[in-house]
Amino acid sequence: MSEFIELKGVTLTLGGHDVLRDVSLTLPEGKCTVIMGPSGCGKSSLLKVAAGIIPPDRGSILYRGEDLFWLTERRMAELRKSSGFSFQDSALWENKTIFDNLALPLQVHSPEMPHAEIERKVVRMLERGNLMDSIHFRPAQLSVGERKIVSVLRALIGEPTVVFMDTPTGTIDPAMAETVMGMIREIKAKGCSIVTVSHDRRIASTLADWLVVLIGGTLAAAGTFDEVKKNADPRVREVLSEVLGEIASFDTDLLSLLGDGGEN
Amino acid sequence: MIGALGRWANAKARDFSYALGFFFQVLKETVFFVRRRQVAFKVLVMQILFTGVEALGIISLIALSIGAVIIVEGGTILPKFGQTSLMYSILIIVIARELGPLLTAFIIIARSGTAITAELGNMVVSHEIEAYISVGINPISYLVVPRFLGVIISMILLTIYFDFFGLFGSFLVSQLVQPTSFSEYFTAILSNLQARDIISTFVKSLVFGVIISVVATFQGFRVSISSTEVPPAAIKSVGRSFVLCFLADALITLIYYV
Repeated sequence: MSEFIELKGVTLTLGGHDVLRDVSLTLPEGKCTVIMGPSGCGKSSLLKVAAGIIPPDRGSILYRGEDLFWLTERRMAELRKSSGFSFQDSALWENKTIFDNLALPLQVHSPEMPHAEIERKVVRMLERGNLMDSIHFRPAQLSVGERKIVSVLRALIGEPTVVFMDTPTGTIDPAMAETVMGMIREIKAKGCSIVTVSHDRRIASTLADWLVVLIGGTLAAAGTFDEVKKNADPRVREVLSEVLGEIASFDTDLLSLLGDGGEN
Repeated sequence: MIGALGRWANAKARDFSYALGFFFQVLKETVFFVRRRQVAFKVLVMQILFTGVEALGIISLIALSIGAVIIVEGGTILPKFGQTSLMYSILIIVIARELGPLLTAFIIIARSGTAITAELGNMVVSHEIEAYISVGINPISYLVVPRFLGVIISMILLTIYFDFFGLFGSFLVSQLVQPTSFSEYFTAILSNLQARDIISTFVKSLVFGVIISVVATFQGFRVSISSTEVPPAAIKSVGRSFVLCFLADALITLIYYV
């Protein structure tokens, strides 16, 4: 399994508080990595640091072996063109219409692309998200769930090879969550690398290839789904049981009964 | 006590170097702005529309009022000292050299400076800036440079407009106080106008535009996590712009006229 993002000793301080402490981990390419942990443990910050949106105070992030914050402008533009980011709170541009929110990444990365082609791509994406009626709306006119879907569509419109998603199915109704799940399944099937923060049992149990458990800003566990499920750390087991429910607690309890609980 | 003073001085030095770095980054991105054919050109047009065109009404009103006040006050006081001929010099000094650029700057600070700081501050809070970074848009290049150029262009054009309108307003009022022909009035104005008056007015409006836009955008980006930080940032933006414009005005006047 090849690695494409590597975090080395990453520490992030926000407002005098250490949000991430000496986090080192590697993320596999072409797989779906799910970052889990209790609220406020630094998951969103870890995702933003890994995506190169927030620079860490200490440590480095290597993208295919190159330090992300020392990339040339051209390399950084290439990286941004091939990646997408969906924010927890959607972070749509409030002074732009939904059409412009989706069109801007294309206008920036492909200035030579004709307007008709941009329009065709935006319409196709909005149809995929059942939001064609909202094409000329401002974000403030949409519901929280609709905003979330637009945020996911914006992340995917450039047909990226790497997608970062912060709780993509959080705070939305089951039907909308299923729409988003469908999109994630599609890009995963195409071999796209996905790194997502999620509390959603369906994402963790059906889409995750790689799990990362973060507790109090430090890395508690990372590995394949099966490896992490076998982790004996009670804090990790608590997180897993909260997200995965019976799936995780059954396996780990069985392993501890078999005397395998002390090993990772 | 000494420790606290040291920490304060250290924080101030850090803030100053950060502001200086921000300013140089803005200058660098401004150089690349045209070359990159960015989609930010639309933002520049919108900024000129908001800062320049939409301020024309209030600028007209203030310029007319100032021109009228000078004519009325001057027309009352100067004849008592037998110095009626000084009226045109006073008009040039007050309107073109000093109040034109300074009052235009104050209007732009109050209208656009606060709006820019609040807009950028709210964008930081709602993670819109991070969203720009995530799609590969440099916020300085896309958000700051169009506002920087828009405010400077508007400041220069509005100052010229203020000066013309102030002088024209004073002509209109002079028709009520002491009727003069249009050609006689403007010939007297032009004969009192020197090249350095025009240059110093231009330099002042340029420098004020730089100050207002850089301070407003800088304070907007200083907002970090909460929307409650936005009003204090806007207040700081206004206060610092006022102080820096006054200082710059005094300095430029000293350079050109002393």
